[in-house]
Amino acid sequence: MTAETRGPIDPQAAASVADAVEPLLRTVGLTRHFHLGGILSKQTLHAVDDVSVSIAEREIVALVGESGSGKSTVARLLAMAYKPTRGEIYYRGRSVHSFRSRKDLLWYRGQVPMVFQDPYSSINPVFRVSHGVMRNLQLHRPNLGSAERREEAARVFEVVGLTPSVDMLRKFPYEMSGGQRQRVGFAQALAVQPRLILADEPVSMLDVSIRAGILNLMVDLREVESVSILYITHDIASARYVADRIIVMYAGHVVETGPADVVLARPKHPYTQLLLSAVPDPREPISVSASPTVGEPPKVVNPTEGCRFRWRCPVAVDECSRVTPRLRTLGSAHSAACHVATADPA
Amino acid sequence: MPSPILEVRDLCVDYVTNSGDVRAVDHVDLSVEAGEFLAIVGESGCGKSTLLFAIAQLLSPPAEISSGSVIFKGKDMVQLSPSELRHMRWRDYSVVMQSAMNALNPMKSIEAQFKDAMAAHSDMSVEAMHKRSAEVLKLVGVDAVHLRSYPHQLSGGMRQRAMIAMALLFTPDLVIMDEPTSALDVVAQRSLMIQIKELQDRLGFAVIFVTHDMSLVSHYSARLAVMYGGQIAEAASTSLLFEKPLHPYSVGLLDAFPSIHGPRRVLTGIPGSPPDLARPPAGCRFQPRCPQAMPKCATRQPDLYSVGGSMVRCLLYEAAQPGRPE
Repeated sequence: MTAETRGPIDPQAAASVADAVEPLLRTVGLTRHFHLGGILSKQTLHAVDDVSVSIAEREIVALVGESGSGKSTVARLLAMAYKPTRGEIYYRGRSVHSFRSRKDLLWYRGQVPMVFQDPYSSINPVFRVSHGVMRNLQLHRPNLGSAERREEAARVFEVVGLTPSVDMLRKFPYEMSGGQRQRVGFAQALAVQPRLILADEPVSMLDVSIRAGILNLMVDLREVESVSILYITHDIASARYVADRIIVMYAGHVVETGPADVVLARPKHPYTQLLLSAVPDPREPISVSASPTVGEPPKVVNPTEGCRFRWRCPVAVDECSRVTPRLRTLGSAHSAACHVATADPA
Repeated sequence: MPSPILEVRDLCVDYVTNSGDVRAVDHVDLSVEAGEFLAIVGESGCGKSTLLFAIAQLLSPPAEISSGSVIFKGKDMVQLSPSELRHMRWRDYSVVMQSAMNALNPMKSIEAQFKDAMAAHSDMSVEAMHKRSAEVLKLVGVDAVHLRSYPHQLSGGMRQRAMIAMALLFTPDLVIMDEPTSALDVVAQRSLMIQIKELQDRLGFAVIFVTHDMSLVSHYSARLAVMYGGQIAEAASTSLLFEKPLHPYSVGLLDAFPSIHGPRRVLTGIPGSPPDLARPPAGCRFQPRCPQAMPKCATRQPDLYSVGGSMVRCLLYEAAQPGRPE
C-alpha cells in the first residue's frame, strides 16, 4: 500500500471506488494456522486455508459449516482479532494490514463490528445495557455530544425492536430475555454506523420461538440501515432464509459457494449434500437411506495434499487423495471444490 | 395393549424461595409404555428439565415435589427411600445428561467411569465389567480402543455416544435423555438420533427425550408432549401434532423454523418471551403471546381438553368437549 491511501478515506471517494470494481470486502488466499503443543512441536493446525471470498454492499452472505470447520476463525480474521498467517483482506480495496494507527484500526472496527454467539456472556452484567452502546458511540463517533449520543442510542434500540427504548436502555442484562440480549448485541454493532456486521452464530443459543425474530431483524437491518451481513451458522436452513449467497466451509477450505437458492436446490459438493440431508424437516418424509453418517470432520494437523472430505465422501476417486481440489465454476456464480462434481448443462 | 411402564400423575414441583414458591412443573400427567419413544418439547424455562429430574428423582433443594406421584414399574418413586432408589437407578432406568462435555469426568478414562457405575450398582467381576464396557461402547459405534481414552481425546459426538453407552450398561427399561444432541452440529446430531432409534428398536427400552427442537424428534418419537410455562400445552402422537397442531403455541413453534424445501415463507416466530413462573399470568399462560387470545383467556385457566386424539390446553377447544355448555 502506498502512503497516500493510508488513513480513513473520504466516504464519497470510497463509495465511487467500490461501485466501480471492488466489493465491500474481499479476501485473497486468507490462511490461519495455529501452532500446537510445546515450542519443539512441529504440529500446526490449519484452521483456515486459502480462503478467497467477497461480500458486496448490502449483501447477506451465510458462512456455513460444522463446528471446527474454521468459520469462526474467518470471522475473527475479518474482525482483526487474529492476524492471518498468509493472505490479505481488502476492505473497499485497501489492505486492512495497512491499518496500523489507532485511528485507522478504530475506523475499520467501526465499519466491521461483530455480534457474538452467546448473548448471556457477551454483555457486561454489571452495567445497564445502554453502557455498551454509549461506549461504542464515545469511541467511534467522538463528534457527537452527550445529548446526541443518547438520541442515537435510543434510535438504534428502536431499530432493533427494543421498544420503548427509554425503558429498555435502563435495563440490566439479567432483566432481559436471550432474544432481547441478542438485539442489544445488534444495537451495539449498529451504533457505530457499520457497513458490514459479522454475526457469529447469533441465533444458535436462542429458543426456537425467538430465532425467527432475530433472523427477520437481520433481513430488516439490510433494508433499513443498508448494511452487509456475514451470517455464520451451522444451520443451512436458516442460511437459506436470510442469505443471498452461501459459502460452505469444510475443514478450513471453502468447498462450495453460490446463490443460496441454487446451492440448496442443486448442491454440487458431496459435503453440502450431506449437510442438507442432515437437516431435520418435519414437512418431508424421512429419507430411505437413513443410516448413521460415518466419520467426523478431521482435525487438520499438518495436512498433506488431497481433498479433506475424502474419508467421508461417498464418491471419492483416486485423484482425491493426490490433488487438493480447487474451486471450479460449475454454474452461474456457483462453484465447488470437488473433482467429481459436474457442471450444469449449458 | 401394553401397560405403561411409567405413569406420572398430577405431578407438581416447586422451587422454594424466600419470596415464595415458584411452581416449575404444574399438575403434569404423563404415561410411557414399554419400548415407547416419548418426546417432551419446550423452550428454556418451561420446566421440561425439572420434570425429567423429578421423574428420575434427582431433584435437590430448593426444588421439591409438592404433590403427585411417579409410578415406575409399579412403585411410586416419590415414596421410595434413597437405598431403594439406588437399587433401581442405572439398572431399571438411567439418565443421559445434556452436556457430555461436562457430564464426563475429565480426570478419568472412559472405562474407569463405566466401571464406577457398574461397581456401584452391581457386584460384577473386574473381567465382566471390562467385557461389558467394551460391549456397550461397540453398541454405540465407538471402537473399544477408546475405553482407555480420556474425554478430551474424544470428539463431541463420541463423548455423547459414550454417555449413551454408559446409560445402557445394564440395559435398563427406561432411558431419560435431556437434550443429548444440543451441543452437536446437524450432521452429528442426525447420526446420533438414528443410532438412538436403532438401539431402541434392538434393545426395546423406552425413551423420554427432552428437547427444544421440535423438528429434531419429528421422525423418531411416537408421541410428543409440548410444555409451556410448567404445564403440558398439547400432547398427541407425533404425526398428528405435526399434521394438525391445535394449540396456538404448537402452531407457532412449527412455523418458527425455516424449511430447506419449498418456497421461502416469512417466519413470524412467537412474539414476546416465555412467562416468568414466579409471577405466571392470570388465566392461560400463553395468552400474553397468543395471536388467537380471547377476552376470557385472561381470566380463566384452560383445562386439558381431549380433541380428536390430541390433548390440548386451550379455551378454543372448550366447546368441543362433550357435555359442556357452549
